[in-house]
Amino acid sequence: MEEKETDYLLKIENLNMEFKMPALRFDTLKERMVNFFKGKRVKSRRLQVLDNINCEIKKGESLGVIGHNGAGKSTLLKIVAGIYRPTAGKVDLKGSVVLLNLGAGFDMEATAEENVYLNGAILGFSRKQMKKRFKSIIEFAELEDFVKMPLKNFSSGMVSRLGFAIAIDVHPDLLLVDEVLSVGDANFQKKCIEKINEMKKSGVSFMFVSHNIAQVKNLCENTLWIENSKVMGYGPSEEICKKYYDYCTGNRPESAKN
Amino acid sequence: MSTIKQWSKNRNIVHELIRKNIKTQYRNSILGVFWSVLNPLLNMLVMWLVFSQFFGQNDPLYPIYLLAGNIIFQFLRSSTTMSMTSIVNNRGLLTKVKIDQYLFPLSSTLSSLVNFGFSFLSLLIIMLFMQLIGGYSLFGYQILGILLMLPAFLLFQYGISLFLSAIYVFCRDIQHLYTVFLTLWTYITPVFFKLDRLDVNSFAYKILKLNPMYYFLTYFRDSVYNMCYLGGGMASWKMLGLLYLLGLVSIAIGYAVYLPLKKKFINYI
Repeated sequence: MEEKETDYLLKIENLNMEFKMPALRFDTLKERMVNFFKGKRVKSRRLQVLDNINCEIKKGESLGVIGHNGAGKSTLLKIVAGIYRPTAGKVDLKGSVVLLNLGAGFDMEATAEENVYLNGAILGFSRKQMKKRFKSIIEFAELEDFVKMPLKNFSSGMVSRLGFAIAIDVHPDLLLVDEVLSVGDANFQKKCIEKINEMKKSGVSFMFVSHNIAQVKNLCENTLWIENSKVMGYGPSEEICKKYYDYCTGNRPESAKN
Repeated sequence: MSTIKQWSKNRNIVHELIRKNIKTQYRNSILGVFWSVLNPLLNMLVMWLVFSQFFGQNDPLYPIYLLAGNIIFQFLRSSTTMSMTSIVNNRGLLTKVKIDQYLFPLSSTLSSLVNFGFSFLSLLIIMLFMQLIGGYSLFGYQILGILLMLPAFLLFQYGISLFLSAIYVFCRDIQHLYTVFLTLWTYITPVFFKLDRLDVNSFAYKILKLNPMYYFLTYFRDSVYNMCYLGGGMASWKMLGLLYLLGLVSIAIGYAVYLPLKKKFINYI
């Protein structure tokens, strides 16, 4: 009985996500008043971002998520991370989760040091606990000379290096990676892939959004392919990636972009 | 996650946010954090000079009256204006990590408490100066009343902060309205003027009695120096009760506005 309980780390069932997007967006009281007297009402447009998604990640396994821009991949990760609440469906997560995306939870006005401690606190670590990790984080990110510099002066590669270094140091059960690897240089990418493989061996699961099909095939047992908010394929990475590749190089590359 | 774990996590986050707020304030200055004390001290000297020399009030303690009133009102002003934009300004965090939104107005309010502490230190320096030079007796046990009053005042401010930060997500121009409102509020609060010239039956006096800040200011002044100077005991307990009532009403209104709007934030920030 218990074995079945701990069988999966993440289970997503019939997940739907709808955004209510105001067609006319009013940010100020003035606009609201003017448009009220003109008789214009805020009409919202419903935008289906995810439509009936089902997938599962077993402990220690990783899932690749592929698809064209705007397919809903990042939204899916944000729902798993708990930032968005899904419109319908169930997300069952057994363990801790960290989302890693570009500029992940950083305050650009604050220094690298302050951001490490702030992020640590957000991930549930006290200042004392983070002090022990601080050196290894900065070392991994190769930012020893920039500790006291505000993040706004960093290059995007430096920011993503810092984000990655923090996320791998806190060892969550599930690490959601949203296209961060594409920013670092070749050396850092290699270092990250090595680290990811090392973490996989120690039992960390990954949910990996990438446009680099080779990376997905290498790192993930299973792959979920989303296109226009719907699942196009779900199964072993080798098979799904081939289908996706055929789809992209087929005779309809334009229509696939929405 | 268990509530205790969540609570200690949020406490760490607030702690880091306050640290960051205070540090960013004086980042590019040579004197750094030292400005936190110097800034209010210099401001006070200017006010002292302008108001006691040019306005020629006959009260020798008028400088202290003015400064005490001013730092309390400044506390409210800075905490609420900073809180108002705090949720929107931290959209970078809110859209990327899971974090409770109320932590932002909370840490803004508490950052202002730290700054208030520095201002209070400056006030004490000036009071000490007055006592040594002028020979007034200003320091007594009555000053402990401030510790009794602060929780009520923080509740009061946090209620306003929640209200403003939630509304600001949807109506950005509330910022300009609130600035005007603050100016009005400053003038109907006895920060600069004294009450002894007001007729008890006048309209102005009735307005004054409806102004919550009037009570906070009065209690604060009584505790800091007035009761000791007059040779009385602790500041009025009845008024302290009223301050807590005001704090609770404010927090109730703040949450009543904030809670239903909370779910919509993520689509608007």
